[in-house]
Amino acid sequence: MILLEVNGLKKAFGSRKAVNGASFTVRRGEVFGLLGPNGAGKSTTISLICGVLKANAGSVVVDGFSVGTDGANAKKRIGIVPQEPALYPTLSARANLRFWGTINDVPADELEEAVNYVLQVVGLVDRADEKIAKFSGGMKRRLNIAAGLIHSPKLLIMDEPTVGIDPQSRNHILETVKNLKDKDITVIYTSHYVEEVEYLCDRVAVMDNGEIIAEGTLPELLEQGSQFQELTISVDTIPDEIENAIQALPHAEEVIVQNEQLKLVTSNAEKLLPSAFAAIIGLGGTVSEIKIHKPNLESLFLKLTGKALRD
Amino acid sequence: MRKTWAIVMVGVRQVLADPAYLMFLVGLPVMMTWMMSFLPVEVYEMAILGVLVMFVGLNVITSAGGYILGEKQTGTWQRMLASTTTYWHIMAGYFIRLFVMATAQSLILLLSGKYLFGAPWDHGFLATIVVLMVYIFAMTGLALFLAGFLKSQEQVQAVAMGVVMVGTMLGGIFFQIDDPSFVIKLIATVSPQSWAANALRDVLTLGVGVSSLLTPMLWMTAIGTILLIGGVMKLQTEG
Repeated sequence: MILLEVNGLKKAFGSRKAVNGASFTVRRGEVFGLLGPNGAGKSTTISLICGVLKANAGSVVVDGFSVGTDGANAKKRIGIVPQEPALYPTLSARANLRFWGTINDVPADELEEAVNYVLQVVGLVDRADEKIAKFSGGMKRRLNIAAGLIHSPKLLIMDEPTVGIDPQSRNHILETVKNLKDKDITVIYTSHYVEEVEYLCDRVAVMDNGEIIAEGTLPELLEQGSQFQELTISVDTIPDEIENAIQALPHAEEVIVQNEQLKLVTSNAEKLLPSAFAAIIGLGGTVSEIKIHKPNLESLFLKLTGKALRD
Repeated sequence: MRKTWAIVMVGVRQVLADPAYLMFLVGLPVMMTWMMSFLPVEVYEMAILGVLVMFVGLNVITSAGGYILGEKQTGTWQRMLASTTTYWHIMAGYFIRLFVMATAQSLILLLSGKYLFGAPWDHGFLATIVVLMVYIFAMTGLALFLAGFLKSQEQVQAVAMGVVMVGTMLGGIFFQIDDPSFVIKLIATVSPQSWAANALRDVLTLGVGVSSLLTPMLWMTAIGTILLIGGVMKLQTEG
């Protein structure tokens, strides 16, 4: 059963098309991954789904309610977890949650119960009355999730909730998201971390240049990418012309130079590797390490977008 | 109303947690009032009101711009917009918060002027307060209107200084301008500071009552209302 239906969504800022006809559906109870490089249009798409921005064209329907024509009912069903904690640092965790509960129409007589419940979900009961300015980055992220859950939304949209936090908090957040499925909460999860998406998501959409360029379950997407392999070649000094030289070789699908590494997507690693090796040596480079990866979401992403996930 | 009240209370709690802002809000104008008490008594009375009119304007414009920009930078603005809270709830919350703080600032200045620094006010207190309330309403409308156009804290500071200085100086608050040009007359007509200063001068020097001040109060109310509605409509078009 479909909870969210996004159809032909478009949004431009001046002449720049941030979202260019994006369409996808999210089913009730699933964790849906939205992957894309920086500037792909993920955040704008999220803002359009939440009704923070108005679309130039297309529609967003949440649980049968159109964000465009019945925004209040649609918004009641959505919780948002922005990338950076959108909270008031001079207030306590509890005061923040009371505020966001009020803003999200939690009735006054149910507010304390809702606050205590979400504090328990994110494991911050014992720090509830401290000002959050004293919290670590990970604790603020957890509270940020609690604020998104305070009104018991049917759809929780999480925008890269684990960027830049310690492993312990990251694991806590991942387990929290995993447990949301048991509470019948549907999640849209954007991330740069393939392993998180692989661990959490039932289905994934890949976005680039404002469009959805692939959508499916993880096995379906990996099947699409199974004919491709990703090679990582570490080079001590990367020669200037290496990108063009390797791109011209047979079986080289995509080439990305990143730091001291070349990332290659190939349809035949065995044939590409010797000629790539020769090209690097021929241009004066020194190879220090070569890794051949099994087909995974990252290599599919690289192939589809020509960009690494952390670009 | 519950949402608007929540927005007001969050704002008040933030202000109370910021000593530097409290210093700007209360300490600086009180110090200016004290310094003005060394002026001759016939000038002092009007100078205090000039300081009040100027600092209230500066306070509401910088606060409105600062609050909204701050909320946009931390993401709480977008989070509010992603809820069922409307622009009218949000702007009403900001309006009440600014109005209450500007009123508190005005009362502190008036009372400190009279009881700490010896301003010789012995009449027109009620009319002064009524004029100030209407003036604060107009400046709050102006501040929330301007806040929709400002993109950085630097712009907030520059615009606040510009609007307040032009309105205060050319509006004839601290000194009368003989034979004003068309531009100065225009500024005096649209500047709430000028209307407020002239009304306050009439209260203090001529002893006029509230009923004689309907024209300036209606003008200021109209300016505040139009700008407040314009400010909400500007924010609504942002998406």
